[in-house]
Amino acid sequence: MEQKTPEFGRFAEPSLLILVSLSDGPKHGYAIMQDVEAGTGRPMGAGTLYAALARLEEQGLIEPLPPVDRRRPYRLTAVGASNLAEQLRGLSAFAQMGLRQLGKTQS
Amino acid sequence: MRSFLIRCYPARWRARYGDEFEAILDERAIGPFDVMDILLGALDAQLRLRGRGADVTQGRGFSMSLRIGGVAAILGAALFATSIVLGIGIVWEVDPVVPGILLVSGSLALLLALAGLSAFQARSHPVLSWNAFAVTAIGVILGIVGIVGLQLGAEEYWMAFIFGILGAFVGSTLFAIATYRTAALSRGAALLLGVCSVLTIAAGQGGNILGPVPMVVTSIGFALGWFVLGVQAIRLDRPAAFARPT
Repeated sequence: MEQKTPEFGRFAEPSLLILVSLSDGPKHGYAIMQDVEAGTGRPMGAGTLYAALARLEEQGLIEPLPPVDRRRPYRLTAVGASNLAEQLRGLSAFAQMGLRQLGKTQS
Repeated sequence: MRSFLIRCYPARWRARYGDEFEAILDERAIGPFDVMDILLGALDAQLRLRGRGADVTQGRGFSMSLRIGGVAAILGAALFATSIVLGIGIVWEVDPVVPGILLVSGSLALLLALAGLSAFQARSHPVLSWNAFAVTAIGVILGIVGIVGLQLGAEEYWMAFIFGILGAFVGSTLFAIATYRTAALSRGAALLLGVCSVLTIAAGQGGNILGPVPMVVTSIGFALGWFVLGVQAIRLDRPAAFARPT
């Protein structure tokens, strides 16, 4: 499985936003869209959502659960959780480095 | 509309995701932004499932429609401003067909901008958003018919051209109202766009009495409104902002 290298440009990727949304439990597509919109203030279209969901599922980072009515929830796999943690740690380190550099500039 | 959008995806994709995708589309109002986003997603699925390894949606980052809409708004604003200034003939004389073509191209760009920037507005004001899109789309078609007809020497196509351009201003007014009400983008820019759209129509009507200056001023305001909304949409699409903007 391809491990994404955590980098700043990946921060806004729909796949990362979906993984973050699923980090507190399984959700179906519409709930993910609402979650992302509430967290980022930006809409995620259904086309973008399902393009990313299909890739995440192929990569084994998420897995589908049995559908309830027509809604199918998804949950993080162990690999997905590990991948998300790695990406977030990378972003956190990058953010801290930026803040340190900014602090030096301002002082 | 929903079934058409789902049919744009390949059969294999529909067999796997069709039901849940349809359930999502049933749960929310679909606006021009959603249609654009879904069509891009369908193109992505078609290319991927044919093994070409395309990465249309994900590889270009979040909410590509918003970025396309922003660029189209800036382009449309520039084309409109240039065409009005050239068309009025206060800077230098040009062949009248040049500003005409610029205006129709500008309308087409603004149609794309409307679709790309209406994500939030379509949730709370779907009818207004769709009307803004439809009026502008009809305007673009009339504008193209008009400019082609005029080029072929049929003077009666002048009215089609005028109504076509009018469509862009009326569509922009409706879009500005939806944007102002939703506060999805700058309300100031939406207000400027809405007011200048109406004033440009009025200045066009009273052109013989008022002269060209009011129309140039209001058109520049119209273009500025679109320009600011376009720049803001592109900034909104930057990866840095994770928290909801205040």
